[in-house]
Parts: sequence; structure tokens; C-alpha cells
Amino acid sequence: MRVAFVGKGGAGKSAIAGTFARLLARAGGPVLAIDSDPMPGLAHSLGVEVTDAPIPDDAVTERREGEEGPRFRLREGLTPVEAVERYAVRGPDGVRFLQFGKLRGPAWALAGSQFAFREIVAGLPDDGWSLVGDLPGGTRQAFFGWGSYARTVLVVVEPTAKSLLSARRLARLALGERPPERVVALANKIRGPADVDLVARRSGLDVVGAVPWDEALAEAERQGLPPVDAAPDSAAVAAVVSLLERLNEEQTR
Amino acid sequence: MLGSAEFGDTTVIADLEAGIGTLTRLADASIDIAVVVVEATPKSIDVGARAAAVARERGIGRVVVVANRARGGDDLARLRAAFPDTELVAVPDDPAIVAAERDGLAPLDTAPDAPAVRALVGLARSLA
Repeated sequence: MRVAFVGKGGAGKSAIAGTFARLLARAGGPVLAIDSDPMPGLAHSLGVEVTDAPIPDDAVTERREGEEGPRFRLREGLTPVEAVERYAVRGPDGVRFLQFGKLRGPAWALAGSQFAFREIVAGLPDDGWSLVGDLPGGTRQAFFGWGSYARTVLVVVEPTAKSLLSARRLARLALGERPPERVVALANKIRGPADVDLVARRSGLDVVGAVPWDEALAEAERQGLPPVDAAPDSAAVAAVVSLLERLNEEQTR
Repeated sequence: MLGSAEFGDTTVIADLEAGIGTLTRLADASIDIAVVVVEATPKSIDVGARAAAVARERGIGRVVVVANRARGGDDLARLRAAFPDTELVAVPDDPAIVAAERDGLAPLDTAPDAPAVRALVGLARSLA
């Protein structure tokens, strides 16, 4: 399975992506959680203690003057699969966690790590890892192909005017040159059936799941704990279980 | 634009993208006050601390932390500990803001007397 969570900032992507990755890993098979947000977030929701884990400089070589191609490449002999083994942080339930580091200053400091990250993700074989991506809020990364490893793009949508506006823009991912197999909505922080209906009507997307507003999940976030550990019986985690079951079922059909 | 335009006496309020990217790219001396909005979660505190550090490195003299959706003393204590020696303004968790957001309306119009709106009025007055 290859999925990526996108949406407006604050919509709940990281909490859901982290929970989804942990549940998928418990079901068996290797799972790689892919974090392309230059700000921290997903590590907390996964239960990984390291927040900043850039791919080290010695994993890449810089293009020489006059040479063609990208500015940085994985060093010769280092395959994407080996790079995951080396640099993806080990998390609970066997989840591996790959990121390009987190910003504390100008973005150029992470350039080598970012090139390596994209090369690794693009080069992973189809039959190996399940991929669960968490993109930063907004539309920019999504439209620049940072989630192009995903067959299913899940737009996390709150029932607010701002979140719905972002969702409508993200729906256009389906119209790109190399679109994912599908772009669907996951309604989040839902307080009643009318909210799901609103997301269905206004996002322009099929709604594949609805995660309720859940104090237990909010409290897990406040404590910086993964919802799947701190609130395993919560309605929100149950909704992510249902989402996973639905996507699994649709995949095998 | 913030660094090059002449705004005269006009007050400019810029709502920057999430994270610190825009803050790192601002021209020197282009803003007077950086208002860092945080919630009392480790994720938000981590991002807010990075933003406050960049603002200080960039020589932005006044950093104000807004503790948004604060639910009580525990939240404020956590944020005070994370941002010592920093001005901190609490904006309480408020259903009136949630309702306004859902309707796509300005909270100042729909709920001018709500506690969160009053807190924001106080913030605006303190910055003016």
C-alpha cells in the first residue's frame, strides 16, 4: 500500500498518518513512514523519540562542475533500499521512519538530505515497503511531486471553510500529468453527520472515512504521545482502523 | 514586499506560512514584532521554539508568544517553561472561534464578546 496524507495545516494529517502507519505495521509487512515536513510533527504521532534525523552528508555526492543531473545524488553503490536500512529510524511496531531533517534555519542546510530523501523514496521497489507519507500543510509540496510515491492521496479535511478551500485545490492533483490512482477525502474532527455531508459536498472528493472530534486524541496530542498508544480505544483511532480496513479491502478487490 | 515597500504609518499584519521558512527568508529589519502562535502540544512548542529562535537570530527585537487554545493553568505553565523571558499572551480555547471557522466568518464579527476574541483585542492593543 502506498498512501500520502495532505491537507491544510492543522487538519490532523500527522496524527492520522502516524496512527495509520502503526496500525498497518501491526498487520504485518514492512512499513515506511515518510515525513517530508521541514517542521517536526509525525515523530510524536508515531512514537519515535528522535525528531531531527537528517540523512547524513556522507550518503550523497555533490555534482561536479560541468556535470549533468541533480545537484546531489546518493553516493555510488548506495541503493534506496540500503539507504532505508541505514538511515530510517526504527519505531514501535517495526515502523521505519524516514525524513530529511527538520529546519532550524535556512533551507539550504538540508539540501543534500532533501535530494537523497527524494531519490530514496522514488527508487523503492513496488513490492517491498508499504509507504505512508505525511506532507506539510498546504498545496505546494503536493503539486511539486513530493507525494508522487503514493497511489492513493488522502486529503485530510476539517469541516471549515478554509480547510475545504485547500481540499478543493488539492483535488486538482488528480488532473496532473502523472496523477495518483486516486485522490480522496478523509473528513476529520467531525462533530456530526452534517459535517461529513459538508465535506462530501464542498471538497469535490469522494469521502473514504470520517474521524470524529475526539477529546482522547486531543489529549494524546497535548501529551505528545501516539494516539494508538495513549488512546487505543478512542473513537478517532477506531475510525483510522476502519479507514485501513477499507483501503485494504479495496486494494485486494 | 515586507522588506522593500514603504508603508509609512500603515500597520502591516502578515500571516506567514506555517513553519519557519518565510521567517528565514525575510529581509533584515522588515518586521518589528514576531508573534509566534503556539498550542500546548509538544509538536507546536517545538515549532514555536524554532520560530522564536530564528526571529531572535534575525535581530527581530520583540518576540511575543500567543498561547492559543489554552485550556488552563497547566497549558500556560508548560508554555511559560518552554518560552522563558518571553512575552506570553493566552487566548483561551473557545467554541465561538470553532463556530466562526466552520462558517468561514470573522470571529470579530460573529462573537465580539467571546473570551478568545477579547484576548485578541487585548493583544492588538498591547502591540499597537
